[in-house]
Amino acid sequence: MASFGRALGVLRAGTRLLRRGPERLTNRKASGGPHIEPQYRQYPQLTKKQKIDSEILSGAMWFWILWHLWHDPDAVLGHFPWPDASQWTDEELGIPPDDEE
Amino acid sequence: MAGVGFRRWVEALSKGKRSGISALLSGCRSASGMTKDSLPGPYPKTPEERAAAAKKYNLRVEDYEPYPDNGEGFGDYPKLPDTSQQERTPWYQWDHPDLRRNWGEPMHWDFDMYTRNRVDTTPSPVSWSSMCKQLFGFIGFMLFMFYIGEKFPAYQAIGPKQYPYNNLYVEKGGDPEKQPEEVKHYEI
Amino acid sequence: MHCAPTFSSSLLIIFTLLIYPILTTLTPTPLKPNWPLSKAKTAVKLAFLISLLPLFLLLSQGTESIITSWTWTNTHTFDINLSFKFDFYSTMFIPIALYVTWAILEFASWYMNSDPNINKFFKYLLIFLIAMIILVTSNNMFQLFIGWEGVGIMSFLLIGWWHSRADANTAALQAVIYNRVGDIGLIFSMAWMATNSASWEMQQVFFKAQNLDLTFPLLGLILAATGKSAQFGLHPWLPSAMEGPTPVSALLHSSTMVVAGIFLLIRMAPLMHNNPTALTTCLCLGALTTLFTATCALTQNDIKKIIAFSTSSQLGLMMVAIGLNQPQLAFLHISTHAFFKAMLFLCSGSIIHNLNNEQDIRKMGGTHHLMPTTSSCLTIGSLALTGTPFLAGFFSKDAIIETLNTSHLNAWALTLTLLATSFTAIYSLRIIFFVNMDHPRFNTSSPINENSPTLTNPLKRLAWGSIISGLLITSYTIPLKTPTMTMHPSLKLAALIISMVGLLIALDLASMTSKQHKITPQTTLHHFSNMLGFFPTTMHRLVPKFNLILGQTMALQMVDQTWLEKTGPKATTSLNLPLITTSSNIQQGTIKTYFMLFILTLTLSLLAAH
Repeated sequence: MASFGRALGVLRAGTRLLRRGPERLTNRKASGGPHIEPQYRQYPQLTKKQKIDSEILSGAMWFWILWHLWHDPDAVLGHFPWPDASQWTDEELGIPPDDEE
Repeated sequence: MAGVGFRRWVEALSKGKRSGISALLSGCRSASGMTKDSLPGPYPKTPEERAAAAKKYNLRVEDYEPYPDNGEGFGDYPKLPDTSQQERTPWYQWDHPDLRRNWGEPMHWDFDMYTRNRVDTTPSPVSWSSMCKQLFGFIGFMLFMFYIGEKFPAYQAIGPKQYPYNNLYVEKGGDPEKQPEEVKHYEI
Repeated sequence: MHCAPTFSSSLLIIFTLLIYPILTTLTPTPLKPNWPLSKAKTAVKLAFLISLLPLFLLLSQGTESIITSWTWTNTHTFDINLSFKFDFYSTMFIPIALYVTWAILEFASWYMNSDPNINKFFKYLLIFLIAMIILVTSNNMFQLFIGWEGVGIMSFLLIGWWHSRADANTAALQAVIYNRVGDIGLIFSMAWMATNSASWEMQQVFFKAQNLDLTFPLLGLILAATGKSAQFGLHPWLPSAMEGPTPVSALLHSSTMVVAGIFLLIRMAPLMHNNPTALTTCLCLGALTTLFTATCALTQNDIKKIIAFSTSSQLGLMMVAIGLNQPQLAFLHISTHAFFKAMLFLCSGSIIHNLNNEQDIRKMGGTHHLMPTTSSCLTIGSLALTGTPFLAGFFSKDAIIETLNTSHLNAWALTLTLLATSFTAIYSLRIIFFVNMDHPRFNTSSPINENSPTLTNPLKRLAWGSIISGLLITSYTIPLKTPTMTMHPSLKLAALIISMVGLLIALDLASMTSKQHKITPQTTLHHFSNMLGFFPTTMHRLVPKFNLILGQTMALQMVDQTWLEKTGPKATTSLNLPLITTSSNIQQGTIKTYFMLFILTLTLSLLAAH
């Protein structure tokens, strides 16, 4: 909850900065987004949005992989079973028994 | 060496000697389009001539070493070490930082080969001969193995595809009047 | 249904949209500061949306068309036309290229924000894109050549963007020179086509070339592809090109320009499919490239260099697909590769920028916590590159390796390709291990901020592309050749198994880094891999020296200055001098001599008259 509050604070600071308009030209990355202070020997400020984004992307990837593995394992494991030649009986192959003659 | 030569040149120019002017002329020399004036002089034979030639090329006498007098036309041109401009330190205040070269500094005979975006002679952790051996050994080994691989190809043994209707005899353009006897490979 | 007007008009709209922002820069009034984002990016985005129209039309109707709209020059025997080809390849490639470019332009507006010439940069990118579209839509060798050279020139300008740095200049020069070597092959093949089939129209070339021996023109085309697509021998320019800005690497050296060589071979595949020599050359060249560059990628420390080498390795894999006579699989790999490789480059750009231009992966680490979105995308991209099932890379890479396994082919090429596949897993894990995992190893003050929408939006779009594009594209692709569906499970799982083995080896090695059993020995193999196989070091010294020996020492000093002088002027002198001295020394006023000469002349003339 505390991190959420901090993120909100960051967001609020960011929106204030956004509203200020042309003065932002001094900012190096002048293309929107909340304002983040560069940190010295500190954990960088993260917004809630970037965490959620990353979770959504990774989650979507794993969902995509696992969902398809569940529903469509053929694409990985092979579409048709490979016939095992050692299991074929002599009868199926039309080979007469050894003692015939 | 280069810095020393440059300082000597500055000293000579500031004293207002005639050699300053000649040094200026040789300093302006470009890598191509030589006129007769800027061609190297005759091979120096006496120590005095050597000293004069070294002065002409803004070199100290100790650093000056002409090409051997084989009649190849090098004359008194100094034989500078075969090092590239890229090898020189980037941290020194060069007069031309992009060329890593001081003004009035003698040029290598093959300077156009040793500019910064051509041959780089920076020492490598592996010796030159070993590098060549490994690279060409690698390429040779690969070519040899491709030859072997061509001799012994990899494949999955499969029979020809079998189709119904007598292996699509009519569909493949066979004569429907005289169909061959249906081949049966099996019996159940 | 007649679709040709739709195709041509949509292409026309795309060209107009892309040219319009370039034209607006010609006005003398200064551009607005947000020109790149509001005009250039929007134009590409719109162009992408419009390019979907012919794609949907093609997918629903299955119509391919060739439009010859204008005769360029006309002689009795030879016409050069302006003709466009809207087949599956071009109609599919244009939306992908535009989608990727849209993302990259948006990213570039963030990455190049502090660059004073950002407008020029965007203009170059747009011109490059136009050249690329000309290349893929052309149905005519001449038109293709225009696009081919257009991307070459723009790549030179963009690699050398920071031209005040000698390294960037060197890289740009390398790119141009290596590409010119390839162009020799293309021009040779074009000359062959002009003389043998009297046309540069592709379908006519294919028709006329049916009964001719095609080995030499095909080798020319392969040389062209080798230069453009950085195959072994002409590959060093691609890693060097990483001197350019990251958006350039993302656009040119991952998804568009470098695949032009492969695209040329895909276009020319009808010539190739009956020529085993050309196919074997492609196969072996591709296999060698994919292994060699993957080996180089293993020990690089520069994040962009690793990704560049992996691009080269994937290009080798595409070449292998061409060598298998499966151009469609090569195209599939081009399509899926564009998404995740562009995204990997954008991720590396984001990391580099956020860590104050630090490119060394040893000085990164821990970005999983610090830049969550970027590191998620980096992981997705790496997994897609490795061929994780159902991500984009899987559908093309697995198909190529399955086809390799079930074809009759050079055993060594198969071995090398499989080895390179496991190397892919190793270096991908290495990137993730050094960049995303563990503790940060960079400077204590870093302006880490990945919240700019111009950074995250392109990353996210490409991440979605990397996840789903593989399935989308494959399900709409109608295979030209019947794919082998039944195979032994070990063959089917081969790609996955070797990737897993590579991953496990890499994990084992990675766990060793934190243990430090012994001082890492500087082995020969490490040097070979770390110094790019010694290829640039030796070749960039041997070739200029050889040229110097040929040019200066032999041609100039030995032939011109020595032998020509000796046989020409000096020989004349030495021949004439004895004659001159003898004849002038005779003239000493002695009457006997004159009589003697008179008698001699008389005798000679009498003999002659007789």
